[in-house]
Amino acid sequence: MVLRTMRRATFCLVGILGFTALPSVAQQPAAGNKVVQVTGLAGVKANTSGNLTLENGSLQFASSAAKVSVPIHSVEDVITENDSQRVFRGTIGTLTMFAPYGSGRFLSLFRSKIDTLTIQFRDTDGGLHGAIFTMALGKADPFKKNLVSQGARTSIPVQDDSGSSNTKPDAAKEKKP
Amino acid sequence: MKRTLYITTLAVLLLGSHAAPARLPAQAAPPPAKKASAIQVLMITSDEIKLPAEFQISLYENLIQQLEKQGGFRHVYREGDRNADGAADLVVLHSTVRGFKKGSEMARNVTTVSGKTSIDVHCQFTDKDGKSVLERDLNGKVQFFGGNLRATLDFAKKAAKLAHDNFAANPVS
Repeated sequence: MVLRTMRRATFCLVGILGFTALPSVAQQPAAGNKVVQVTGLAGVKANTSGNLTLENGSLQFASSAAKVSVPIHSVEDVITENDSQRVFRGTIGTLTMFAPYGSGRFLSLFRSKIDTLTIQFRDTDGGLHGAIFTMALGKADPFKKNLVSQGARTSIPVQDDSGSSNTKPDAAKEKKP
Repeated sequence: MKRTLYITTLAVLLLGSHAAPARLPAQAAPPPAKKASAIQVLMITSDEIKLPAEFQISLYENLIQQLEKQGGFRHVYREGDRNADGAADLVVLHSTVRGFKKGSEMARNVTTVSGKTSIDVHCQFTDKDGKSVLERDLNGKVQFFGGNLRATLDFAKKAAKLAHDNFAANPVS
């Protein structure tokens, strides 16, 4: 009887361990940054989740539906900023607004901080494009450093715009094309 | 009694339907200055206002998307596009941000009445030689639902409509 119970407990434990191990195994090969492309990339819908990587001298955004590549030498400006977004967003977020007793309003108080990465680049015809990405807090600055080290240009030096946009020097803020 | 009421109502309706078209030409906008088959959108500038980069890019990209969506122009060129040099009847859109108030999505969600985000943009349409053909102040705002960047979409829709109504060579498309 005791043996049977022990065996059952062991199976349960192995099952739970296996279940929890799966996501971590799945996360390992995903190199690069998990981002949301807010707008700007041709052929990619707004607010599409994907992976942003730097490969072979180009900035690559890959989602389940599309893969877009931007040569790093064509990137004219990289700017990082901080923002926040609702934890419950999208369709569910909208539906919570109609929840009874003001619970939707209460839920909208829950917000998560995010980093935004804004880039400007030129296409082969010289046309100016812009793209906005959001990513987990603290990811944008290291990514920008990598991008700049590989040849991208920026109007605000990397060491000066870590943190929020409020910490930018006046000279940097004045820059507009 | 019922019949009189019926006749009176009918007469009022008939008069109204005849009077409406007569009033319309008086309310109609002045005729457009020039039709163009192509439009070039320049990057949004903000000399006096400190505009976050994400808003600047979002304004620019939404503007181009909305102009393409509205139709009426054979080509919508971006700033710096070399193909625009060969376009004969080109109109160029310069946009300058004159006012910006970054609201709060949380405040909008919680209070409904506060936290509005608004952007005031001065739009100037010029011909290829730089001569101004139309100037207008437009506003983009988000009052209830959505993130702050939604204000840029609101502006883009208004600007695209303005361009379409005044310059589109093929307004039906």
